[in-house]
Amino acid sequence: MDGDKQTARRRSRVRVLGTLPPRRRLVLTLFSFLTPLALWSAISYLPFIWHPMVRVAEAGDASWFSDGELVDGDAFAEENARIRAADGHLATGARANPVFLPPPHAVLRALVTGFTTPPARPDEPWLHQALWHSITIIFWGFVVSSVVGVPLGILCGALPATARLTEPFVEFFRYLPAPAFGALAVAVLGIHDAPKIAIIFVGTFFQQVLVIANTTRRIDPGLLEAAQTLGASRKALLFRVVVPGVITDIYTDMRVLLGWAWTYLIVAELIGVSSGITFFINQQAKYRAYDKVFASIVLIGLIGLGTDLVLARLGRRLFPWLPSAGPRRRLFYGLRRPARATGVAAASALDTTEAASVEAKGAASA
Amino acid sequence: MSASLALPDYRTQSPAVAERFQRLKERPVVLDVRNLSKRFESASGSVLALDRVSFRAYRRELLCVIGPSGCGKSTLGRIIAGLDTCSGGEMLLDGKSIDGPGPDRGMVFQNYTLFPWLTVRRNVMFGPEVSRGLSATMAEEEAQQWIELVGLSRFADSYPHQLSGGMKQRVAIARALANRPRILIMDEPFGALDALTRAQMQSYLLQIWKNVDVTIVFVTHDLDEAVYLADRVLVLDAHPGRVRELMEVPVPRPRTREQFTSPEFVAARQHLEELIHPPLQVQPETLPLGRMTVVGDDVE
Repeated sequence: MDGDKQTARRRSRVRVLGTLPPRRRLVLTLFSFLTPLALWSAISYLPFIWHPMVRVAEAGDASWFSDGELVDGDAFAEENARIRAADGHLATGARANPVFLPPPHAVLRALVTGFTTPPARPDEPWLHQALWHSITIIFWGFVVSSVVGVPLGILCGALPATARLTEPFVEFFRYLPAPAFGALAVAVLGIHDAPKIAIIFVGTFFQQVLVIANTTRRIDPGLLEAAQTLGASRKALLFRVVVPGVITDIYTDMRVLLGWAWTYLIVAELIGVSSGITFFINQQAKYRAYDKVFASIVLIGLIGLGTDLVLARLGRRLFPWLPSAGPRRRLFYGLRRPARATGVAAASALDTTEAASVEAKGAASA
Repeated sequence: MSASLALPDYRTQSPAVAERFQRLKERPVVLDVRNLSKRFESASGSVLALDRVSFRAYRRELLCVIGPSGCGKSTLGRIIAGLDTCSGGEMLLDGKSIDGPGPDRGMVFQNYTLFPWLTVRRNVMFGPEVSRGLSATMAEEEAQQWIELVGLSRFADSYPHQLSGGMKQRVAIARALANRPRILIMDEPFGALDALTRAQMQSYLLQIWKNVDVTIVFVTHDLDEAVYLADRVLVLDAHPGRVRELMEVPVPRPRTREQFTSPEFVAARQHLEELIHPPLQVQPETLPLGRMTVVGDDVE
């Protein structure tokens, strides 16, 4: 009997596919961030885990230490042994991590002060200027790529002839690493923003065409057949069935592709005159301000995640025909579920009886 | 087999039914299928799915097509709709040869195929807009009538995912009919529905058909459904699909579910059953059954 109970409990905890109850979603979402943060904190604040360095508090009689210096732990011990043998004044210090691994609180501080600290040299950008510059590069690279890539992708998916004419070359081209075009882009487009946008374009466009073509090909053929028996012309098939039929999936693809575009940003910004967040990060690394380096990296992540969240929200606004109770693909979808739990329950009951749908409809319009 | 002795011959028709068939056959022929063949080519050879199938459907007739699985009844429906090509033979609609899909032949599929991004109203407006070139206002008026006909006015602004299976199929019927097709092809339309909803939908269909000037070709594998709905039932053989018989259903109209137990109904159904289910090749008693039970709890 005990075994039975245990199996039942295990079944309710670990679920294969399906959806989670809202509270559990929220808890797990928080843990997905808290776990790495806890690991980082442990390494940063618990000296016995790592801490290979020593931050010198008082140099004492040590020959080459200075106050506040970060020295290798073994070297510190050796030097102190030498001082002890000479009966001198011992150096004191606390174990610490290397400079490239700042503790969470330092990064958090840098995150806050980053925006208020003026740049080290007057010709360098502020953090927010650097970020904004990066965002505009991504934006234009992605927009230019999408303006051509989305229609071309849909055409490739819908028309086999277009696909044959386009895809073999695109397949070839997508294997060429975008940074390889850096020198060429600078030669053609100059040294400022244009070659950077071009690199984002090269990195995004070819994947975009293929991904969107494949998504378009996955349209339910039954919809096309139904439209044909309703007398749709080829043009109507394309614009009134294929495009609206795949637009939601393409929207999801675009969210993923936007993430890919960000991964080309650092390389793109190194080309020509280094700029944006990459320049900022490199400068801070030169000053050995690794807390600011980490803060910048975290900022990129936050911007990416934030954009995706906003786009997910916007998607639900844009496509009201998507079942709200359907599977949610992204981790943050469920954050505000509890408030809507009743609506979801009603919607899932809809399929069974007409009465339920009447109720839900009433609720929806109310 | 003693029960069958008590049943009337399925060919015996009451005077009312006989008169109805007389009138039916005086009506113009809407669909004339002549020697239609379909051969599927594949790597492992070619399969003859349909072999010289010929039949006619009269105006406002409800013709059911049944047959064992693999007899090509769905293929037949798809060829008439223009979604598949035939390998031989021809089809005439109102005396004119047809080729490829067109708005004169509506189709209702088993899996609804409603456009999920359109509301019920806009789904129904689709045909009138794209094929008849109606303006949005006129298409909307047209759609409204059909939505009312299938009793879904309250759901006109719902999206398909908010509807039950039966309601979705009613929308699909309204969408097909809004195009004013000459014939409506229904390919196992109620196959995905539960038994209760299916029974309800069959009655709905008869109700709708009574008010609309349309010839229906209804593909099904459900014998009760065929007898309940059809004027005539086209029975196909499998491998290759050939016309076995075109049976006239002796059950009078209007049809009700009480007729399921009437002698004519049972006789017609039993005849179809004999046509479709050939005698078993292997008798159950001769199967070399091993015992898989643990205790001697015999079920018989």
